[in-house]
Amino acid sequence: MILGVTFTEDAVIGLLVAAVQFGTLLYLAALGETISEKAGVLNLGVEGMMATGAAVGFIAGVETGSPWIGLIAGSAAGMLLSMLHAFTSVGLGADQVVSGLALTFLGLGFADFIGDGYTDDERRARFADVEIPGLDDIPYVGEILFRHSPVTYLAVISGIAAWFILNRTAAGLGLRAVGETASTADAAGHSVLRLRFVAVGIGGAFAGASGAYLTTYLVGSWSQNLTAGRGWIAIALVIFGAWRPGRVAIGALLFGFTLALKSRLVIFEIDFSPRLLDMAPYLLTIIVLVLISYRARNRPSPAPAAIGIPYRREER
Amino acid sequence: MKKLVLVRRETPTRGGQPAAFLAGLIFALLVGALLLLVTGDPVLDVYERMWERSLGSTDTWSSTFNRAIPLALAGLAVSIAATMGLWNIGAEGQILFGATAATLVGRIFPDAPGPVLIILMLLAAAVGGALWALGPGLARAEIGVSEIITTLMLTEVAIRLITYLEQGPWKDPEGFGFPNVTARPEQAELGDLWDRTHIGVLIALAVIAGFAWFLNRSVWGYELRIAGSSAKTATYAGISMRRKVLGVMLLSGAVAGFAGGIELTGTAVRLNTQISNGYGFAGIIVAALALMRPSGVPFVALAFGAVQVGGQSIQTSLGVSPAVATILQALILFGAIGAAVFSNYRVQAVERQVVAT
Repeated sequence: MILGVTFTEDAVIGLLVAAVQFGTLLYLAALGETISEKAGVLNLGVEGMMATGAAVGFIAGVETGSPWIGLIAGSAAGMLLSMLHAFTSVGLGADQVVSGLALTFLGLGFADFIGDGYTDDERRARFADVEIPGLDDIPYVGEILFRHSPVTYLAVISGIAAWFILNRTAAGLGLRAVGETASTADAAGHSVLRLRFVAVGIGGAFAGASGAYLTTYLVGSWSQNLTAGRGWIAIALVIFGAWRPGRVAIGALLFGFTLALKSRLVIFEIDFSPRLLDMAPYLLTIIVLVLISYRARNRPSPAPAAIGIPYRREER
Repeated sequence: MKKLVLVRRETPTRGGQPAAFLAGLIFALLVGALLLLVTGDPVLDVYERMWERSLGSTDTWSSTFNRAIPLALAGLAVSIAATMGLWNIGAEGQILFGATAATLVGRIFPDAPGPVLIILMLLAAAVGGALWALGPGLARAEIGVSEIITTLMLTEVAIRLITYLEQGPWKDPEGFGFPNVTARPEQAELGDLWDRTHIGVLIALAVIAGFAWFLNRSVWGYELRIAGSSAKTATYAGISMRRKVLGVMLLSGAVAGFAGGIELTGTAVRLNTQISNGYGFAGIIVAALALMRPSGVPFVALAFGAVQVGGQSIQTSLGVSPAVATILQALILFGAIGAAVFSNYRVQAVERQVVAT
């Protein structure tokens, strides 16, 4: 017993399992945003793309009875929405902050609009947990890491693939170059517009998938304001992870833990207003960002240099 | 073989932004109509109802005007921050905390005479909003932390703070067990100008006019504009960027918090998490459509007030999701962004071989 709280073995394991589940949610969105920002496009529409992904994912899932179709449809919806942001901010060179925020608005509104009749829907299309043979029997570790929905494993694979593509392939080099100095990348023969469109689209697909994961696994049902600001945490995670897929994953687990903690309070019989603990992930985000910036104040920023700057060849 | 490219105009077209706004509105209505058609809703009925219940009849003007007040103040808050190139994305949270601070004053002086109490509550709201922006302002000014994320996170914190107050310390003892904050003192209510349009309309216009004057005519405003356009020039002229960044964030927060106070004393009876009602976020779109100029903010705010009020009416009478209004607001901005390009650029057909340099 610590501080009057009883920590049973099951409760602690349950908490860590939930941390990985919430971490998956955050990681999918944050990984997508990392790729978009690596190409120099800040997309503040994550929350909206997530919400639309969640609504579309739920509808497609329950109508077809397949969570896989839900996940794919949600992801496609996120990608479609992100194309609007790409068109205005990359194609027309509009301010990325304004365009991204409008996208959040649009995504939240669209999700509520199409989800209107599905709020009390009892149907479910949920992923089942998949145990990784041979690994799921490891004491504790197996239970915490190797008994998850397929989406969690996909997120891990995506993270490794993103790291590999960004750092070890010509396409990834081009994408990063476009996000650092677009004119140089252009001169070197990379199509700035095409690479940025692709990066924003991948970002949208991941954000949509993250939302669909909410409705096809984590929560399982659709309701208004389901995303509850987690899209914004995902954007903060990109800064936390210094635009590196690996570090972003660590951040996602850490923040996933704080989100899980809140949902598990009851189990620990903690006599503490969950509303106040509810604030923790958001306050933690601020504290962590301040600490990171403070530590890095005399070093060059790890942010892609061209972030937020539209590119027009004739004006370089 | 020819291709189309955008060529920058030497001077932007006159009246470009109002035209862009109109184009955005038309674009939004068209795309909105498409959406409604897909879901099988009666497009014309929906739009007719939205117009009737917002600007179309004098009976409902009050709702629209009252709605435009917080939108205009939030838009002003965002545009003040934008003078220094800052994004106060968390005006929503500052509105909430402003209303919280005003509620606190109401709890301390429940029996103060109305006018005195209102002034105290509005002042507290402004101070509360500034306080909520203080942390992000300091973090940005001193160590360069993105104010976008910090202000947003504080919005989430403010929501949860109010939920906590509702369930615990400020719970209405006579609320039949419902988690509601005790209502504000009755006498702390802004009077009506005409019909249900409250006096906040005048207050908001005065605040906006004041800031427009301040930004354009005062020394501080002049320094702001220099600092906002070039940090180098500002530093050379001996203007402290750090103090300007912090000052602008505090002012922006104060105006947003003030909006929260106006809401509490104008249209709301008690503090709750819905009191900000997305005004902080809509304010960003309002400010963007007004090109971050205070003078344009009231007009855009009025149009957005109409869309929002109209959007609410279609749910009750036609059973159409009020989210249509949210979608329309976003689409207006997207349409306007697209249209605005043409006030700064013209489309030119060039030979493919001739690569523009």
